[in-house]
Amino acid sequence: MRGQMQYKRSFALLVSGIFAINVLELATIFILFRHFETLGGWRVGEIAFLYGLSSISFSIAKIFSGGLDGFQVQISRGEFDRVLTRPVSPFVQVLCADVKLHQVGRLLQGIMAFGIALTLTDVHWSTGRLLYLPVAIVSAAAVFLALFSFEATMCFWTTEATESVNAFTYGGTTLAQYPLQIFDGWLRRLFLWIVPLGFTIFLPALYLLDKPDPLGMPGFSRFVAPVVAILFCAVAGFFWGVGVRRYRSTGS
Amino acid sequence: MRVYVELARRSFQRHLAYRQATIAGMFTNAVFGVLIASVYGALYRSRSGESDVAGFGVSEMYTYVWIGQSLLMVVAVWGWWEMATSIQTGNVIVDLMKPVDYFGYWLSQDLGRAACHTLTRFVPTFLFGELLYDLARPGEPARWLLFAASVALGVVVSFAFRFMLNAAAFWMTDIAGVRMMALVATTFLSGLLVPLTFFPPWLRTIANLLPFRTFVMIPIEVFLGHGSAMRALGLQVFWAFALSGMALLVLRRAVRKVVIQGG
Repeated sequence: MRGQMQYKRSFALLVSGIFAINVLELATIFILFRHFETLGGWRVGEIAFLYGLSSISFSIAKIFSGGLDGFQVQISRGEFDRVLTRPVSPFVQVLCADVKLHQVGRLLQGIMAFGIALTLTDVHWSTGRLLYLPVAIVSAAAVFLALFSFEATMCFWTTEATESVNAFTYGGTTLAQYPLQIFDGWLRRLFLWIVPLGFTIFLPALYLLDKPDPLGMPGFSRFVAPVVAILFCAVAGFFWGVGVRRYRSTGS
Repeated sequence: MRVYVELARRSFQRHLAYRQATIAGMFTNAVFGVLIASVYGALYRSRSGESDVAGFGVSEMYTYVWIGQSLLMVVAVWGWWEMATSIQTGNVIVDLMKPVDYFGYWLSQDLGRAACHTLTRFVPTFLFGELLYDLARPGEPARWLLFAASVALGVVVSFAFRFMLNAAAFWMTDIAGVRMMALVATTFLSGLLVPLTFFPPWLRTIANLLPFRTFVMIPIEVFLGHGSAMRALGLQVFWAFALSGMALLVLRRAVRKVVIQGG
């Protein structure tokens, strides 16, 4: 019983800690805007809006990334062989192996940020917007989860260099907090065409906030989030398949 | 004394071996550096009027971003938990029985690690920033030495703080909560996320009273020539002694606990 209480206390501490550290990131944005009026033409409420979207979708992906996170340990311990013998898809097994419930702290913080953003901006919630909001969030979450999947797949080849994917996951969620046009061409193209966070966070935000597109993209580009997310996940799935095949063939 | 140098040297070599992780880390640092620099660049562009914000011009802002990214690993802003692990596995008993002072044992290894990270993380990241951005650099060579001294002191203060955090493992089996809280304090109050001069006055006061600014903010201020370098270094020396003193007290209680429990 005492063990359970200790665990609950530790869990609560962990959730609060994650909440706190992310709240500080949000606080940083407000601190910055004490000294500046706009960022790329966007006001603080609109930045908070982007932040909320980015944080919520990243949190969702993080919650489900537990198994992928533990994959490195699983494969180095040789436990993956057992996974391959079972009739269920190895990816599904790995994915479901663990859930990072404490990341709900980050999710709560993201929802709070989005709430704050709504009080600071004037969104006209049409039915279209209300329906598209969860679609965009789930699409972005899928993109992040696919990135975590890439990171896990890299473990088939290397165990040390997987950290580099942090540039796209943590880097991506940070970048998505800001309007895409402030970034140099190559960085913008990277997070639009290669890691499609631009299509799942920024462009949907343009629609939700009813802002003009600074990138000069065709109008429908704001609505392709789910399509792009599915494509990206397919690529991640293909890459995973390559990894599994290689693992099998090397007879580890 | 020779023992400590040897420990530091071995730690240096040990960390040098993590080649792939180093490259991956450098890549992440570089991406974040460009990302954050872009944000500040856009913020400054949006301002018409004075170019200085809370004591930082654009060029100095870029310098702040890149030194922050370069210094992260050196002062271990995101923590270091080797000692806690050794406590949890029980290896600490062996370490405590060594003829070396326990605090010194870990300090010398941390200095070796920091030296290695200076070479493998600070230098490449800073050079990369230098290549892409117009960074503000110190006029006289003496300032570089002051900066080096400031970083070294920052590492020591950071170590003393991390020592105490790791020592929590003597009393708690699950230190995940401690790790989180430490992360919260160090990233925000060290000036890594945003310069401390940007804080609202009440928060600024709190940050100034705490040791975390010695990790990142003070070295940057020394580098840029903001304020008196002597006062800055003096403050770091104060915290180095204060936190080390606290750490030794914590250690004494921990050892007493271990002995009493017949460990």
